[in-house]
Amino acid sequence: MILNKQSNETITRRTDEDGVIFMSIKNDEEQHTSFLEDDVTILAIESSCDETAAAVVKNGREVLSNVISSQIALHTVFGGVVPEIASRKHVEKINTCVRTALAEAKLKLSDIDAIAVTYGPGLVGALLVGVSEAKALSFATGKPLVGVHHIEGHICANYIEYKELEPPFMCLVASGGHSHLVLVKDYGEYEIIGQTRDDAAGEAFDKVARAIGLGYPGGPKIDAAAREGNPDAIIFPRAKTTEKSYDFSFSGLKSAVLNYLNQAEMKGEEVNKNDVAASFQKAVVDVLTEHSIEAAKEYGCNKIAIAGGVASNTSLRERLSSECKKAGIDFYCPSPVLCTDNAAMIGAAGYYEFKKGVRSGMELNAVPNLPLGNRERKYHGRSSN
Amino acid sequence: MKILALDTSGLVCTVAVTEDDRLLSEFSIQHKITHSELLLPMMEQIRDKISLDLDTVDAIAVCAGPGSFTGLRIGLATAKGLCLALEKPLIAVPTLDALAYNFYGSDCIICPMMDARRSQVYTGIYSFVPEKENDGQKEFTYKMKTVMEQAALSVEEIAEKLNSIGKKVILLGDGVPVYRDKLEKLLTVDYTCAPSHMNRQRAAALAELALIYLKKGKTVDTDSFSPEYLRASQAEREAAEKKKKNTASIDKDSVLIRDLKAEDITDAAQLEKASLNKEAWTEAQLLEASTRDDTVYLVAEKAGRIVGLCGVRNISGEGEVTNVSVAADCRNAGIAGRMLEILLLRAEKIGCRDFTLEVRAQNSPAIALYERLGFKSEGLRKGFYTEPADDAIIYWKRKTKDD
Repeated sequence: MILNKQSNETITRRTDEDGVIFMSIKNDEEQHTSFLEDDVTILAIESSCDETAAAVVKNGREVLSNVISSQIALHTVFGGVVPEIASRKHVEKINTCVRTALAEAKLKLSDIDAIAVTYGPGLVGALLVGVSEAKALSFATGKPLVGVHHIEGHICANYIEYKELEPPFMCLVASGGHSHLVLVKDYGEYEIIGQTRDDAAGEAFDKVARAIGLGYPGGPKIDAAAREGNPDAIIFPRAKTTEKSYDFSFSGLKSAVLNYLNQAEMKGEEVNKNDVAASFQKAVVDVLTEHSIEAAKEYGCNKIAIAGGVASNTSLRERLSSECKKAGIDFYCPSPVLCTDNAAMIGAAGYYEFKKGVRSGMELNAVPNLPLGNRERKYHGRSSN
Repeated sequence: MKILALDTSGLVCTVAVTEDDRLLSEFSIQHKITHSELLLPMMEQIRDKISLDLDTVDAIAVCAGPGSFTGLRIGLATAKGLCLALEKPLIAVPTLDALAYNFYGSDCIICPMMDARRSQVYTGIYSFVPEKENDGQKEFTYKMKTVMEQAALSVEEIAEKLNSIGKKVILLGDGVPVYRDKLEKLLTVDYTCAPSHMNRQRAAALAELALIYLKKGKTVDTDSFSPEYLRASQAEREAAEKKKKNTASIDKDSVLIRDLKAEDITDAAQLEKASLNKEAWTEAQLLEASTRDDTVYLVAEKAGRIVGLCGVRNISGEGEVTNVSVAADCRNAGIAGRMLEILLLRAEKIGCRDFTLEVRAQNSPAIALYERLGFKSEGLRKGFYTEPADDAIIYWKRKTKDD
C-alpha cells in the first residue's frame, strides 16, 4: 500500500501471475454519502491503450471506486505498447475490473444509472473490448449507454480533483498520443485552440528516451534523469510554428536531439544523458507553458488546467504553476494517478454527456481517430431515448 | 434449457437463441465485416421479435477461437459483459468444432478451414459416429468425434492429413474459396465444398454444441477466460525470431552474468519451476522481488537463454539468499559459483553484512559450493522440504573482524 500524502490517495497494488499490475485507488477524503433521488451514478469503462480500467463515479465528481489493471510491464520489453498484446490482456481483465469497481463502490449493477465507455481515440482493437463489454452490460440491464471521448475524459479528471472547478477554462492536454490546447467553453463543449502538427509530446519523450538509452516509458524516465541534469547545458530549438498559432511541433526538437547525439558519437565525445534529458525536457516544457499562458490570455481565461499522461511531468507542473502565478491565473493539475489512463475520468465526462442527453445506440463502434468536440451524430449511433 | 449463442470469429456475425430442441431465432449477416456495429443491434432485434426475457437464458455461448483476433474479442467481451450482468455461466466452444457441427450426421470426414493468412488455415478434422443409449432401441444419435484437434496448419499439411485418412471429405469455412485451386491439386481423396447455407459459422450449431457442454457442466470462468488464438502476436513472433538470430551468432559456451530484467521474468520462472518444482517462485513473485530496492537479482545467460538465476534480499544487514537455480543441462560448469560470487559482492553494496540460506540436506553439490564460498552450517530444520521429503540445513556466512 502506498500512501500518496499529497492528495490523500491510498493505492492498493497487486501483481498478477502474468505481470499485470492491478491497482485500486481510494481517496481517503471522500465521504460516501447516501444517495439522493437526483444523483446520477455512472459505471465507466476505459480500454483505449494499455490500461484496462473501470470506475464508479457519482454526479461526475465523486469517485466511489477506481480500478486500473496496468500492463506496462508487458510492453516495456518491446519498447512501446503492442496493440495485439494490449487487446489480449483487456479481454482477460475487463470483467475483473468491472466487478471490482462495483464491489468497491458497494453497489450492484442495478444501482447504476448509466454506463459510460471510451470509444475513441485510441487503439481500435483495445477500444473494442471496452465498447463491446459496455454495450453488453447496457443491453442486458437496460441502462443507458454513453460513449465518451478519451481526451475529454482526461480534461474532466480536473472536475474530480477540483470540486469547485467550472468551465470556462483553458486546458493543456498532453499525452503519449495527443498534444492539444483546448478551450473548455462549457461542460461537454470544447474548442481546439492548438494541436500538434507532428509528434505528440509524450511520443517525443518516448523517442528521445529510447535514443539516449533510458528505455520505455519515456516520460517518467526522462523526468527522473532530468532532475540530475542541467537544463541549460544544451540549447535545443523551440519550434514556433507560425505567428499567432498555438500549434505545437515536436519532431524538429526530437531531430535536434538525435543530431546532437550523432555528432557527439562521431566526435567520440561522451554524452551526459541527464543533461540531454533535462535540456530536451526544458524545451518541451517551455513551449507547452508559453502556449498555454498566451492562449489563456488571448481568450480571457483566468484558469488553466492540465490533463493527460505528460501532465504528471514534474517540471511541467512546476513551470506552469509558477508562470500562472506570475500571470495571475489559477492553475489546476490533477494528481498523477488521475493523469494516467483511468475510468474515473470517463465517469466524470460521461456524467456531463449524460446530463446533456447524450445516449449511444447499440451500434456504437470504436473510433480510433475520433475528433475532439463537435462530434458528428453518427459517432454516437442512434439515440436510445 | 435456453442458450444465447454468438459468434464473430470469422466473416459472419451470427446470433441464435435455442430452447432445448427448438431454434427460437437465428440471425446471421455476412456482408461487410463490421461485427462491432452489428452484433448488439442483431441481439436487440432477436430479443424484441421473440419477446426474450434475458433472465430466462441459462447460458451464454461464444466461440473460443481461433479466428480473427479482433473478431474473437468482440464476441468474447460481449459474452463476458452479458454473463456479468445476467449472472449466467459462459460456455466456450472451439470455433472449428462449432463449424464442423453444421454437418451433424454426415458419413464423410468433415474438415472446416478458416483463412489464417500467411499461407495457413485454422483447421481441424471431425467425423460423426452413431450412438444408441441402449442396444434395444432403434433411435440413435450422432456424436461428433474429433479426429484432429484444431490447429494452424499450411494447406499442404492439412491436405496430407486428409489424404492419409483416405475418406471422402466435406470442406467448409472461409479458407475453402481462398485455397480451392491448391486443394484441388493437393487432395488425392474425393471432396465436396459445402453450400452456402452450411459453409460458414452458424450460431445455431454453436448453441447445439453448447447445450451438450452445459449438460456436462463444461463452463469456463467468465472473468479470466481468454480466447484460443493459436498464434502469438506479431511483435512476440518477431522478438522470438530476433532472439534466435542473435543467439546463433554469439559464442555458444560463453555465460553472461547480469541483472534480472523484466523481460527475463517468464524464462526465469520457468527455470525455477524446472529445477525446484513446488518451491519455485512464480513470475509475479520474481517480478515483485526483482523490482524492490533491497534486493539483488542476477541471471546467467548462455546463448540467449536464461540458464541460471539467483537473488538476495537485504533484511537489516542480513542478506537472505532467496533463490539459486541452474538449468539441469548447465550444471557442474561453475555457473552457480560465478553467479553467487557476484551476488554477494553486489549485496554488500546494498548493505548486507552477513548472508544466510537454506539448502536441502541431500543436495551435496550445492552444499559443497556454499562451503567453498565460506558458508557454515548453523542448524537444521527437520522435514522442511516435501516432494521429496528432506531436511533443510541453515547456512550462514558471517563477516568476521578480519574481513
